[in-house]
Amino acid sequence: MARLRRFLTETLPVDWDQLRELGAEPVPHHLKHWWWCLGGTPLYLFVVQVVTGILLTFYYVPDPDQAWESVARLTHEVRFGWYLRALHHWAANLMIVAVMLHLLRVFFTGAYRHPRQLNWCFGVLLLACTLGFGFTGYSLVYEQMSFWGATVAANLVEAMPLVGPAAATLMRGGSEVTGNTLTRFFVFHIGLFPTAMAALLLLHLALVRLHGVTRVRFSHEDDRPGEASFPFWPHHAATELLIGVLLMYILTVLALALPPELGPKADPLVTPPHIQPEWYFFFSFRLLKLTSLQTSVHLTLVVGLLIFAWPFVEDLLHRWLRMPREASVVLGVLGFLGFLTLTVWESFAG
Amino acid sequence: MTPFRNRSVPCYAFPAMTSSRRSVLARALAGVGLALSYGLLGGYFVAYLFPPRRTATRRRLFVGRREQFRRGAAHPFVDQRGRTLLIVARPDGELVGFDSTCPHLGCHVHWEAESASFVCPCHQGFFDADGVATAGPPAAAGQSLARVTLEVDERGGTVFLQES
Repeated sequence: MARLRRFLTETLPVDWDQLRELGAEPVPHHLKHWWWCLGGTPLYLFVVQVVTGILLTFYYVPDPDQAWESVARLTHEVRFGWYLRALHHWAANLMIVAVMLHLLRVFFTGAYRHPRQLNWCFGVLLLACTLGFGFTGYSLVYEQMSFWGATVAANLVEAMPLVGPAAATLMRGGSEVTGNTLTRFFVFHIGLFPTAMAALLLLHLALVRLHGVTRVRFSHEDDRPGEASFPFWPHHAATELLIGVLLMYILTVLALALPPELGPKADPLVTPPHIQPEWYFFFSFRLLKLTSLQTSVHLTLVVGLLIFAWPFVEDLLHRWLRMPREASVVLGVLGFLGFLTLTVWESFAG
Repeated sequence: MTPFRNRSVPCYAFPAMTSSRRSVLARALAGVGLALSYGLLGGYFVAYLFPPRRTATRRRLFVGRREQFRRGAAHPFVDQRGRTLLIVARPDGELVGFDSTCPHLGCHVHWEAESASFVCPCHQGFFDADGVATAGPPAAAGQSLARVTLEVDERGGTVFLQES
């Protein structure tokens, strides 16, 4: 035993006291609220996605002639294939919801303000990355709906000012959605986005750790001395662990009750009479129906950039126009209601 | 040894995170539960990695009753892939089946009972009762008719086509 310990300390020269110090990061009292876990939730779901995603690539074939068939085989023949595919599908959807809720919470608690502006930007990039994951992953199934969804999305990208045509060509690997596109989406989905996401997550978490978690105090809570913070490890880690179990439970229930369907195979020659993207792009799809292609693309771009740069935009508006900072809340509510309206509208009128 | 910095703060997730006997037991139970459930999930994942063994899916297609097949004659049968098969009952009663598509250029051969041979009318190809080419372009190229496997259930007096 003593020899083993010596071997370990020699080969793994880790200062355990320092590590403990690192893990015992004091987190504010409010993190004891169960719903204050929206940062950890997307992270947990990301891990689920990485594990199930790697497993899915064992059977998936990124070839236009075989993609759909390989998904069908995976779903119907491979042991637990249906379960893994459903886990991946539902964890993706929940992850998008969780990231959006996390963003809303950070926004409405003003946690994006100085000195955490940059971390907000990283966060918005993470959201964009998550949506990119959703879009490319959906297209990999190569069913009619996802094929034509990719076609519409590529046309949207093409309508972007300046970089549009080049970006669309890069994305499709040509001027049309073809077999090249499938290869590219596969590379985006399992190579580019995961790498970008991991790097962004690292930056995001490093900044959270460096700044410390934003302190929020609720009016009904008296400021109990000595309880302003508690150590992350093991207390908050235990909370996250339990949330992980709860998430697995929810995912499994969803996988059993609402397994992802497999629509008809993509046919480049036949456009389905009714196409619709996944729910998280409903807002864009509804906008497209309400306005012209150019207007909706420009509007989406402007709003996206505004969200991305909001901490800085707010500063500028505050300084130049004397906009009260609380106005952000009103704008946030309006923006989110707009998003919600478009989404609900499309889901009912689609 | 304890990793807890601030022991005065009770853990929210596990309120009794002190080292009383009860809490140690509770934590051990929670740990075992977690290990078992994630272990089970891991087991599923490992099972997933082993591709299902493709048990040769043997299908039998009912062709007809034994007594339908007159000796020396050929009986056409269209299988589920749309191929026209010729099923010949030999003089000794044995049933043999061939794809009627000529291997030369894809015309359909027919059975001539007098000469007990298959004849392709397009380019005068001849095949014997075993489907081996005897004259014409298929014979020059050494081609034969594709044979199919028939299964005769003697007890039930029924004939099946084996499909793989």
